[in-house]
Amino acid sequence: MSDNVKYLCFSLGVEEFAIPLLSVREVLGLPEVTPVPQTPTHFLGIMNLRGRVISVMDLRTKLAIKPAVNTETAVIILDSGGFNVGMVVDQVNSVQEILPEELAPKPTLESGKANEYVVGVYKKEDHLILMLDIARALSLEDKNLINNQKTVA
Amino acid sequence: MDDFEIELKMGFLEEAAQGITDTEQCFLSLENDPSNPDTLNKIFRLAHNLKGSSKAVGFDQMGAFTHELETFILKIKNGELPASRNVISTLLACTDFVTQMISGLKENLQAQFDIQPFLDQIEKASIPETESAPNQSEEPEISTPPEEVSAEPAVDQLSSPEAVLATAEIQTELQSHQEPKPIMEIHENVVPLESKKESEKQAPLKATEAVGIKATNANPAKDDSIRVSVSRVENLLNFIGELVILQSVVKEQAMKTQSLEIKKTLHQMEKVTKEVQDVAMSLRMVPVKMTFQKMQRIVRDTALAVQKEVNLKIIGEETEVDKTVLEKINDPLVHLIRNSVDHGIETPETRKANGKNEKGNVTLAAYHKSGKLFIEVKDDGAGLDSEKLIRKAIDKKIIKPDTKLTEEQAYQLIFAPGFSTKEVVTDVSGRGVGMDVVKTNITDLQGEVLIHSKKGEGTTFQVILPLTLAIIEGMTVTYGEDRYVFPFNHVHETLRPSKTDIQENTSLGQTLMLRGDNMPIYKLGDFFGKKSSHKMDEMIALVIRTGPMPFAIWVDDILGQSQVVVKQLGSELNGFKGVSGCTILGDGKPALILEPTDLVKRKLTRSAA
Repeated sequence: MSDNVKYLCFSLGVEEFAIPLLSVREVLGLPEVTPVPQTPTHFLGIMNLRGRVISVMDLRTKLAIKPAVNTETAVIILDSGGFNVGMVVDQVNSVQEILPEELAPKPTLESGKANEYVVGVYKKEDHLILMLDIARALSLEDKNLINNQKTVA
Repeated sequence: MDDFEIELKMGFLEEAAQGITDTEQCFLSLENDPSNPDTLNKIFRLAHNLKGSSKAVGFDQMGAFTHELETFILKIKNGELPASRNVISTLLACTDFVTQMISGLKENLQAQFDIQPFLDQIEKASIPETESAPNQSEEPEISTPPEEVSAEPAVDQLSSPEAVLATAEIQTELQSHQEPKPIMEIHENVVPLESKKESEKQAPLKATEAVGIKATNANPAKDDSIRVSVSRVENLLNFIGELVILQSVVKEQAMKTQSLEIKKTLHQMEKVTKEVQDVAMSLRMVPVKMTFQKMQRIVRDTALAVQKEVNLKIIGEETEVDKTVLEKINDPLVHLIRNSVDHGIETPETRKANGKNEKGNVTLAAYHKSGKLFIEVKDDGAGLDSEKLIRKAIDKKIIKPDTKLTEEQAYQLIFAPGFSTKEVVTDVSGRGVGMDVVKTNITDLQGEVLIHSKKGEGTTFQVILPLTLAIIEGMTVTYGEDRYVFPFNHVHETLRPSKTDIQENTSLGQTLMLRGDNMPIYKLGDFFGKKSSHKMDEMIALVIRTGPMPFAIWVDDILGQSQVVVKQLGSELNGFKGVSGCTILGDGKPALILEPTDLVKRKLTRSAA
């Protein structure tokens, strides 16, 4: 079984999502994060990953999902095109093999905030796992998050 | 193309880039000393290597071109061609072209080039000038000791195909170029055709000689270094930084135990870690040699363009500096050097009239002093005329007509954008951009440029730079719940102002009165929209004087001063004005490094908007 069909499943609130395992560098518990002023709310700050400083974003805030209560919080370190970024999720669940033919296209929905980041769905037993286009979900393409002009109170 | 092949080709290109820089240096020193056999041998060896390996990795065009180049160089080596200025210029044009090919291939391994114009140029230059340089006669023509002959059969096999080829070409070229001329008319130092054939027999030998040297590794000093990518060094530094943090954690834990042994071991470990850290830091340091030597070429070309005779002297090329710093001073140095040659050094006639040697001198020196890198560009030219500078600046409306300036301030005018004392814009200078670049780049590097000048005796530009950008002396402060680092060189002084020192003023905001100076004072949190629970009389003011206007910043407390390793923020945080990077503090938590003048600039533009 090749690595290409392995996915990392994690929870945001009560919902379950999956991203390709190959885009994941590592998973760790949430360390202390230094906030960075003047960044969007989903930008938690910067953390120290063994001597390297990387940015940490909260995927829950970004996708407007209510955080679960009483779950451990984890950071998934993504390896996206040579640059690393941390992503906070409620819980990391499992690594799942999902063959392309098992994927169903996402149902046509009225537009929701998380909608455009979902590239497909996978039915696991009694619930759906949403496949995320993680680069799009974190708006990594518009890399510059700093708004120098924004007036702060 | 598979990965291995790509890797092979990229590896070759890296090597070739190095080789071509060396070759350029040799050409330049050949110009000064046209008959030095060591230089000639080295050039030939480099050209030969370049040809061989470019063919081996499959860059056929480069192979073909460097083959012609090698043939050309062989002629110089054998004394058939004098190393005249023209010939050297052709050679330099060829190295430029090869450099172009290398960078072109680096972007696209399939890149194609038009080599014909350069081949024509080589061919044109291959015709020996009849009025060849007089020192040519000193060239040892055929002086092969007998023991080298004995080596011939063995090494001959190694290089014979190309050597024979080269010989054949020389022969044809010689015939085509020399046949029309009667042999006797050729200048005596050009060997007549008959004896030329003799010397051609020696040609393969000389080629093999070079190969022989290579094979027996008679030059071991050349390859005692390895190339390592900067990212790997950075990785190493990151891990060492983490090691130091972990060590301090262990140290705290060890305090709780009674075991003397552990404490002793830990103490030893600290020493070793410190050593390792120092060594790792020094890996980023490189000698300024490479950058300095490039300036030879700049001086030569600029001097030719403005028809002056200029000699460049290099001092302290072994001085080491952080690679990133070195990369960024290349452009400023080029501008400074060109400025010295073009503006500093007078024309040969003027120099003669003033009783100076017609040949001007430019000295490029580097040295370390009190933890900083000093680079000096010194010329023995006319010196700066402060009155002329001021007049020009008034003409160009850079300063107001009634401005009073000291000598030093007047000198600094030449860094103003758009300022030029030249009436006519030439290829070399006159647009008033170069010196502006110098100032901007040096300031970006946290450095400064001082100018010393004496009328009639010359001008010295003194560039003072930090040795590294990777570590800065930082002052860690707190504001609210967060910690920030200020580069120490920005903080002029710290104080706890009394209530009477602070004036609240609606139109000006808060003003700090300090020994007769009035300066605005801002809360650090105001730049970021953060709040602090501290009362004003518990806070500390940092006075910043590095910007155009002095100002002060309120912070809650100062935690201490230490050397911090500067790390870049991710690209998603690019363009964060007022923040130059971040660092990891002693407890392993990151903190932002602030650039106070930018912070204020941002605040000002915002309140203006």
